[in-house]
Amino acid sequence: VPYAFCGLPKPTNITFLSINMKNVLHWSRPEGLHGVEVTYTVQYFIYGQRKWLSASKCTSISRTYCDLSVETSDYERQFYAKVKAIWETRCSEWAETERFYPFLETQVSPPEVALTTGEKSISIALTAPEKWKRNPQDSPVSMQQVYPNLKYNVSVYDTKSGRTWSQCITNSTLVLSWLEPSTLYCVRVESLVPGPTRLPLPWKQCISTLEVQTSTWKVKV
Amino acid sequence: LRRCLVSVDMRLLEKSFQEIRRTLQTKDTFKNVTILSTLENLRSIKPVDVCCVTNNLLTFYRDRVFKDHQETSLEVVRRISRIANSFLHMQKTLEQCVHRQCHCSQEATNATRTIHDNYNQLEVSSAALKSLGELNIFLAWIDRNHQETSAT
Repeated sequence: VPYAFCGLPKPTNITFLSINMKNVLHWSRPEGLHGVEVTYTVQYFIYGQRKWLSASKCTSISRTYCDLSVETSDYERQFYAKVKAIWETRCSEWAETERFYPFLETQVSPPEVALTTGEKSISIALTAPEKWKRNPQDSPVSMQQVYPNLKYNVSVYDTKSGRTWSQCITNSTLVLSWLEPSTLYCVRVESLVPGPTRLPLPWKQCISTLEVQTSTWKVKV
Repeated sequence: LRRCLVSVDMRLLEKSFQEIRRTLQTKDTFKNVTILSTLENLRSIKPVDVCCVTNNLLTFYRDRVFKDHQETSLEVVRRISRIANSFLHMQKTLEQCVHRQCHCSQEATNATRTIHDNYNQLEVSSAALKSLGELNIFLAWIDRNHQETSAT
């Protein structure tokens, strides 16, 4: 049905939210259209190519987000996306994103973290986060393969002394062996990748070192 | 060679670009044309050609892009000149570091020519604006090729 008149207000706040290359387009409902059955249609553009392409899963939808991970999966390319609002025979102008560059803009989630404590030590084992997968059964791809110089910023807060210690590491294990027994430490880990600074997604957990094991000697009298 | 540009403060460069990215990319209305990001071009650069292509691209920005760009906003001019000065420093650092080992293979020369050909497709101020808007591609390429960990 051709749209007779395109005077609807545009959707607002259109932006990509990207984590580990899962790229979801979000927008807000146009202002002043309360209680009205609005639907949306999304298109995307591969920078340097020729024309806008339809996002097949996001035509005449009523939700205000659209997963474009498949369409934008070549993360070294750059993209635009746009959305228009439709109500009966009326529609809005397109609302368009800025140029989106997944390789430089995706947020990288923290690694998987396993903590093991001793009397005076905490061992921290890290596993790199996984990149978004097209199909659940696809073999996993680590974000380390996307960013060979992926680093982890590990900081440890001593709740007794109030002091914080931190270190940037690339390898996957770190052992802190100079701690105090029976002390609560809060560990914070985030992933760091090259390029512009990105919103941090930290992992946090507090854990206590063990008590000193007093060995009991039996004396034969 | 990979460690040549490790002294360059890439974070400051990226920050300068991020502050003007939206302005530059919004004014670039030719979405269907790209100067750098014919990815087959940059992505296919072999390690042995990294020095030559880096040098050629630094020259491209110094001798064409920064010269051709017309800008009215003082804020943007200030950040572009900061980037231009960093590029000059980078080029000097590279020259001192490699002492004429910066060999250019046919592929590296072709890659550079493609970039110039793309640039010539557009009217000169539009081409300069687009090239500036694509600085993030060049900076990401430098970051990846010049500062990888010694393991690679």
